[in-house]
Amino acid sequence: MANISGKAYALTILSPIKNGYTEEQIAYADIVRTSLQAWNNPGFSPMAQVPQTYLCRYFVLDDVYTESLPGADLRSLWADVLAIISNTFRISMLPKQDQLKSRYLVFSCNFYGGPTGDLDGYLRGMWNTISDQIQPIWSYCYGFEQVNNAESFVAYMKKCQLPAALFFVGSNDDPLPEQLKALYLKQEFTKFAVANQGLDAAKLRANFQEFINSVQPNNIDQPTWPAGKFTV
Amino acid sequence: MTQQLELTDIQGNVIRAYGRFGYPVARYVFFNIRDNSKAREFVGAITKRVTTAVEWGDHPGQIKQPHWTLNIAFSYQGLKELGLPRTSLVGFSPEFASGMKERKDILGDDGPSSPEYWDPIWCYNRVERDKDVHIFISINAQTGCDRDEGYRWLLNQVSFVNGAVVILGGHIGDNDEQFDYQDSHAVMENDQPTAKEHFGYIDGIGDPVFEGVPYDVDRLPGRGKQMDDGTWVPLATGEFLLGHIDEAHEYPPAPDPVLLSRNGTYMIYRKLHQNVGTFESYLEEHGQKYPGGKELLAAKFVGRWRDNGAPLVSAPDEASKDDFNARFDVANPIERDKMLSDFTYDDDMSGAKCPFSAHIRRINPRASLQMVRDETTPGAMKISEGAFDTPGALTNRRRLLRRGLPYGEVKDRLRNNGNHGIVIMMLNADINRQFEFVQQQWVNYGNDFIAGNDKEIILGNHSADDKLLSKAVLQVDPNSDEAPYILSKIPRFVETRGGEYFFIPSMTALRMIAKGIVDPT
Repeated sequence: MANISGKAYALTILSPIKNGYTEEQIAYADIVRTSLQAWNNPGFSPMAQVPQTYLCRYFVLDDVYTESLPGADLRSLWADVLAIISNTFRISMLPKQDQLKSRYLVFSCNFYGGPTGDLDGYLRGMWNTISDQIQPIWSYCYGFEQVNNAESFVAYMKKCQLPAALFFVGSNDDPLPEQLKALYLKQEFTKFAVANQGLDAAKLRANFQEFINSVQPNNIDQPTWPAGKFTV
Repeated sequence: MTQQLELTDIQGNVIRAYGRFGYPVARYVFFNIRDNSKAREFVGAITKRVTTAVEWGDHPGQIKQPHWTLNIAFSYQGLKELGLPRTSLVGFSPEFASGMKERKDILGDDGPSSPEYWDPIWCYNRVERDKDVHIFISINAQTGCDRDEGYRWLLNQVSFVNGAVVILGGHIGDNDEQFDYQDSHAVMENDQPTAKEHFGYIDGIGDPVFEGVPYDVDRLPGRGKQMDDGTWVPLATGEFLLGHIDEAHEYPPAPDPVLLSRNGTYMIYRKLHQNVGTFESYLEEHGQKYPGGKELLAAKFVGRWRDNGAPLVSAPDEASKDDFNARFDVANPIERDKMLSDFTYDDDMSGAKCPFSAHIRRINPRASLQMVRDETTPGAMKISEGAFDTPGALTNRRRLLRRGLPYGEVKDRLRNNGNHGIVIMMLNADINRQFEFVQQQWVNYGNDFIAGNDKEIILGNHSADDKLLSKAVLQVDPNSDEAPYILSKIPRFVETRGGEYFFIPSMTALRMIAKGIVDPT
């Protein structure tokens, strides 16, 4: 599948938001947007708790964009020439202008899917860690009332899935904990290099041993860089 | 076909870096407009004395070289006061309309470089109407006497319009005194003007060369754009002059009517204070530890040796420097100029000679951004063959003409405070694409150079925050056993003390502005 690259998986979900509004005349889609904007506030996004998430993005799609009328391509040239015969024909050649029947919640995500692209496992992990935050958002979407556990969440999300391949170039396809540990080691090693520059070999060796003991390269879980943390 | 520029229509400072043409002294004067219509008369009178780009000499079509030159430019507020129609004003770039102060986050003017610490003239600019900087006038002179003559002439013009324009004071000079002008002059050595700035480096060697400039025909290598076959050709005129085709084969965005913008350009004026004491002590401290010694370390900061400007790419160590010097000492001026500017980074893709964070590599990377990792050796980079139409494609649209001179004197090399720094004026067709990009991405960030967030060593807005300490890596040959040297806790060597964005109109545009007949319809 085009949305699997190595061990990285590009997930695109479009869930239709119900066309209603509250007593205060605020559209459901706007409530969804406001709730999601709060996830952006300083501090960790709930998505940071979802295992193996490389990067994700939420937005509310109000409508699709329409491209302007065609330029001077061969197709429209012929349509113009043949318009002497029938104007209906010319109009039929113009691109159709599509509009959405509802507004959509879009969830676009890159995660570690392993060699088999384990989407079910990722979605189960998402439900198990942040179902309390998922429900208030997705409850405004059509059909979400059938979701009440991890399995029904997985089934629902797969129905909403689009086979799009939106990859973010900025990470490799190793499991997230390994990437976070690597980032942590890189930063700590830079500090070590600065602090120990120019020492003699014996002292350097001793300090390096101490450094290795403190950063524990083989212990993937700790010490490490916490998922979702973006400031020093 | 080689482009012919209309030298009578272009202001002289756009084409000439006056310092290089025998004008080591300069004075910059700034005005606030109080009476719009009389201010246009003032602009008209000044325009008659403005130095154009016409060639100097005794040959036909050339004019006698003046003892002092005069040039003029306007801020966005100034153009508004001079009565430019709204339809013309909206055609100027948004960053020009915003002004430098508002762009501080993009430019990295934070901490000691924040606008609240700028000289009073810049601090109060765009705060109160009567303190707004509207007009910039520069006088460049062969001697101090010539400068004084030019300034007296200017004061006379001011008095003729009875307070319609007012000179703005508030330039900090010696002993924290405030002056009505910003003076600058070449740093002197043995009573001779030099091309050096206060840290001791030779400045302005790599100033770009573009199509149509008659004085620069012999100065192409290293200053134009690098081609696939190793030759150099001039950059497109439209990178530096509005109304001409640029490197994307387009006209740069410019206001209407064409006569207002054509042959004009944007100027970035910046007063940069140099912390000489910090620089000396940091160089001393690391010079003792750095395996190559203090002078090589100083050269690594910039990419050139301090004594004669020899590029590190051509003279990477003491031995090759001696060899360079032997050839340099017997070379004629044209050969010397070539030795200083004619080089590429093609044989230094891993930065072992000229570090990735050195001044000249950051400001003008030549073709060195066309690079990819060389997987055969850790830490090695190589040329990404054929990645772009021309090897310098990532650089050619980020070039800046650099004008300006040092100001003040260093009386005590152990101290930071004092009146010493550089007034730099950078000219480009697009402030955002050229100046601001270089400042944000190449000076204050390192990702394009695969150097993480390492900043340019000399100009970078290095942080004093313990959690975000600045560092820079001095690379070594990836095939050697040497360890890279890490410059840690880099302090801020240079602080912004003020500045603004200006528009330098053509002579035609100046005459139209003076008459109030700019008509975009």
